[in-house]
Amino acid sequence: MANTGWDEFEIGAMLRTFEGEISDIATTLQEDRKYTQNSSFSASVADWRIEKPVFNKDYCIDCQFCWIYCPDISIISRDKKMIGIDMDHCKGCGICVEVCPTNPKSLLMFPEVADEEREIENWPAKEKKEK
Amino acid sequence: MAFDKMELRDTEVWDGNLAAAHALRQCQVDVVSAYPITPSTPIVEGYAKFKSDNYVEGEFIMVESEHAAMSGCIGAAAAGGRVATATSSQGLALMAETLYQASGMRLPIILNIVNRALAAPLNVNGDHSDMYLVRDSGWIQFDAFSPQEAYDLNFIAFKVAEDHEVRTPAVINQDGFMTSHTAQGVKTMDDDTAFNFVGEFKPMNDMLDFEHPVTHGVQTEEDWHFEHKARQHNDMMTIVPQKIDAVFEEFAKLTGRKYNQIEKYDMDDADVAVVCMGTSVETAREVAKEMREKGIKAGVVGIRVFRPFPFMAIAEALKDVKAVAALDRSAPGGTAGALFNEIAGSLFNSDSKIVLSGYIYGLGGRDLTKRHLVDLYTELQANADAGKVLTQQQQFIGVRGPKLAYL
Amino acid sequence: MSEMKKIKNLKEFSTSADRFEGANLLCPGCAHSIIVREVLNATNDDLVLAASTGCLEVCTAVYPYTSWDASWIHIGFENSSTAVAGAEAMYKALKIKGRLKQPDRNPKFVAFGGDGASYDIGFQWISGCMERNHDMMYIVLDNEVYANTGGQRSSSTPIGSSATTTPSGSVSYGETKNKKDMMSIMAAHNIPYAAQVAPNKWKDMVKKIQKGFATEGAVFINAVSPCTTEWKFDPKDTMHLTDLATDSLVFPLYEVIDGHELNITYRPKEKDIVPVEEYLAAQGRFKHLFKDQYKYLIKEWQERVDANWVYLNRREEARV
Repeated sequence: MANTGWDEFEIGAMLRTFEGEISDIATTLQEDRKYTQNSSFSASVADWRIEKPVFNKDYCIDCQFCWIYCPDISIISRDKKMIGIDMDHCKGCGICVEVCPTNPKSLLMFPEVADEEREIENWPAKEKKEK
Repeated sequence: MAFDKMELRDTEVWDGNLAAAHALRQCQVDVVSAYPITPSTPIVEGYAKFKSDNYVEGEFIMVESEHAAMSGCIGAAAAGGRVATATSSQGLALMAETLYQASGMRLPIILNIVNRALAAPLNVNGDHSDMYLVRDSGWIQFDAFSPQEAYDLNFIAFKVAEDHEVRTPAVINQDGFMTSHTAQGVKTMDDDTAFNFVGEFKPMNDMLDFEHPVTHGVQTEEDWHFEHKARQHNDMMTIVPQKIDAVFEEFAKLTGRKYNQIEKYDMDDADVAVVCMGTSVETAREVAKEMREKGIKAGVVGIRVFRPFPFMAIAEALKDVKAVAALDRSAPGGTAGALFNEIAGSLFNSDSKIVLSGYIYGLGGRDLTKRHLVDLYTELQANADAGKVLTQQQQFIGVRGPKLAYL
Repeated sequence: MSEMKKIKNLKEFSTSADRFEGANLLCPGCAHSIIVREVLNATNDDLVLAASTGCLEVCTAVYPYTSWDASWIHIGFENSSTAVAGAEAMYKALKIKGRLKQPDRNPKFVAFGGDGASYDIGFQWISGCMERNHDMMYIVLDNEVYANTGGQRSSSTPIGSSATTTPSGSVSYGETKNKKDMMSIMAAHNIPYAAQVAPNKWKDMVKKIQKGFATEGAVFINAVSPCTTEWKFDPKDTMHLTDLATDSLVFPLYEVIDGHELNITYRPKEKDIVPVEEYLAAQGRFKHLFKDQYKYLIKEWQERVDANWVYLNRREEARV
C-alpha cells in the first residue's frame, strides 16, 4: 500500500477489518476470520522484542492468567487450554511470566535469539518456597 | 408510532428559521443533535415543537454545547442515517474543530448557519464573520438570500451531500434576523413531494452494519495525510459542482425555482457590477434597477455556492464588465476581504480588463442602505470610465467617523 | 434484552474470541489493552465503540491499520462520549423507523477516554451524556497523566507525582493538587450505574461491565491503568502495580447504583492491605517523595487513603 495514490483510497480514510461479511465476530475465532491487510492482526511487532517468552507446556495448569493479562492478545488459548504464543504480536513485555503461578514457571523470558527447544530442555527445576 | 403529516398552504408566511425547521421536518431527519444560540435558536425550537406534536419521527438530542452538537451529529452520521443541526456565530466557532472532522470523515451532515457576528465586542446580529471562519473546513456551503431559499436549499443540500459520490457535509447560510426573523411568503412542497425529492437515506460505511465493521477517524501522518486531503479537495472541485448543478436542475423541474452556483441579475449587458451574499443581494438588485433608470448599466452577482467556490463561473460572468465591487460583510483582520481575494483570484489570469474594488460593510447587523449602494455604483461607473480604481481598493461603508480606506 | 455471556471462571472466559487485535502500537506492558480486552470479552453482543484522542486511539487506528474488530470511531480529544451518544441515538431512530440492517442485534455503545480526555478536556461532554442518560458506557482508562503526549499532569494526577508540567525539583515535590474525585462527580449525576474497576480483579471488572451492559441508561466506569512509561516501572510489573493500587486501597473497587447505593466490591483482608508507601515506592514518579524533606507527604497520603476508605465504608453502611 506504500505507494498508493490519492485516487486509490476509500473516502474518509475509512478502514475495514474484514474481507466481505462476518456474521458474528464475537463467536468467530481469529483463525476463522477473514482479516483484511488493514487489520493490525495482519501486521507484526515481533521486531519490538529484546526478550521473548518461551512456553513449557509440561508445567502449565491452564489457569489462563497469562491469557487474561496479556496486553497483546498473544496467548493462544483454545478449548480452555493454553496452546502457544503468537510471536507476531508479542512485544516481549514479560507480564505472562510474572503472572504464571506454577513452580517452576511454565513461561520464562529468554533473549530473542535463544533456541527454544534448548531452553525447554534446560528448564529450571522447582524452587523451594522461602519461608 | 407513526408520525403525522402536516397540511401546508401552497404559500406560507414563514421566516427563514421556520422555513429551515419545516425543511428538516419534511426531510425526515433521523437524528438532530443541537444546542440553541441566537439567532438560529428558532430552527431548533421549531423542530422540537414538531417532535412534541408528533410531526417528527427520530431522535432529538439537546446537548450541552455546540461542539457536542456536532460531535453527536458525527457519531449519528457515522452510525448511518440522516443528520442535521443549526447554529450561529460563537456556537459555530466552538463547533469549528468538529467541522473539519466531519468533512474529513466524509459524513453528509446538514448544518443551517444563521449568520451572526463574532465577538468581541459581543453582537447577536447578522454579518458573515462566522461563514468566513469555517469557509475552508471542507464543507459545501450554500447561501440563502431569503426564507424561500433557506427552505429550498435544505432539500438541495441533503440530496447533494448524501449522494454516495459526494458524501460531504453541507452548510446552508442565511442572514441572522434579516432572513431568519423576517417573515415572507414561502412557496411550499407538500410533505410527500418534499421527502420524495430528497429520498430515503442510503447508508454507506455505517457503524450500525454489524456484519461489516468499520473504523472511522484514523490517524494519518506524513505518509498518508496529504493523499486523503487531496482526495477530499479533488471531489469538491470535480464531483460536487456537477452534482450541485444536477440537483439544481432536478429541483427546478419539480418546483419551477431554478438555482445557480452564482445568481446573475441584470448582468447581460452590465458595465458595473456588485458581487455579494445574503440579503444584500436583494438590496443591490433593487438599486441596480434604479441605476439603470439613471443610465448606469448596473448588475448584481450573488454567490449561491460559496464552497466549492465558483471560480470559473465568476470570471465568466464578469468577463464583459468594466468595474466590479466585492462586498465583504466580515472584518478582514488585516487584509483585503475574503470575497475580494476570491474574485481577484478568479479574474487575475483572465483576459478581462475589469477593475476590482472591495467594500467592507454591515458588520454586526449594520444596515446596508440603498443610499450606500447608489454611491457605490456611482463610484464603480467612475472606475469603469477611467479604466482604473479611482478610490483606494478597500473602503468601509456605513461606519461612523473619518473615512476608512486602505490599499 | 440479550442474554448475558456466561463467564463462570477464567477457563471459560479464555474461550472468548477477542475483538481487539495485537500489533497495535501500545507500549509493551500497557494496561489499557488489558482493560479493553476484559471489557470487550465481557459480552458477545455487537459493539459500537469510540475512543477519545489519547494512547488507546493513536495506537490502535494509525493508517493503514486498525486494531478493532467492531465498529469504531474517533473524532477528537474531548468527545468520544458524545460520539457514541450520537450513534446510540441513530440506533434508536432507525429502530423506530424499521431501517436497521440487522434488527435482531443488541448492540452496546461504549466510549473510551484517558483521564486527560475525561477528567479534563472532555469533562463537559461526559457530564452531558450522563445527565441525558444515553444508553451507553463511558470508560476512563485512568493512568493519571497525559501519557500520549509525554507525561503532563492532568486533574487525575495525584499529589506528589512528578509530571513533565509539574516536575519535582530542588524546591518542588511535583504535582501539588490532589486527584479529582471523578467517581463522586459522575455518581452525582444520579446515573443508574458507576463503578471503579481494575484489570487485576478481572472477575470484579467483568461483573461490573456486564452489570453496566445490562443497565438501561448511562454507565460510568473508572479503570485504573498503570502506565509503565509514565509511572516508571518495568513493563513486566504492570499487574503487580495494579495489585498494589487495589490492595493499598489507593484505588478502592466499588460501585454506586442510582447515584447513592454504594457497594465496596473488593475488600482486602486487614493483613493483606499494603501500606501506601509500598505502592509509591514501586514507581519512579514518586521517587523524590522518599527524600527526608518530603516524607511527610507519604504520611499524608496514607492518612488520605485511610480516610477515604472509612468514608466509603460509611457510605456503604448507610445505604443512602
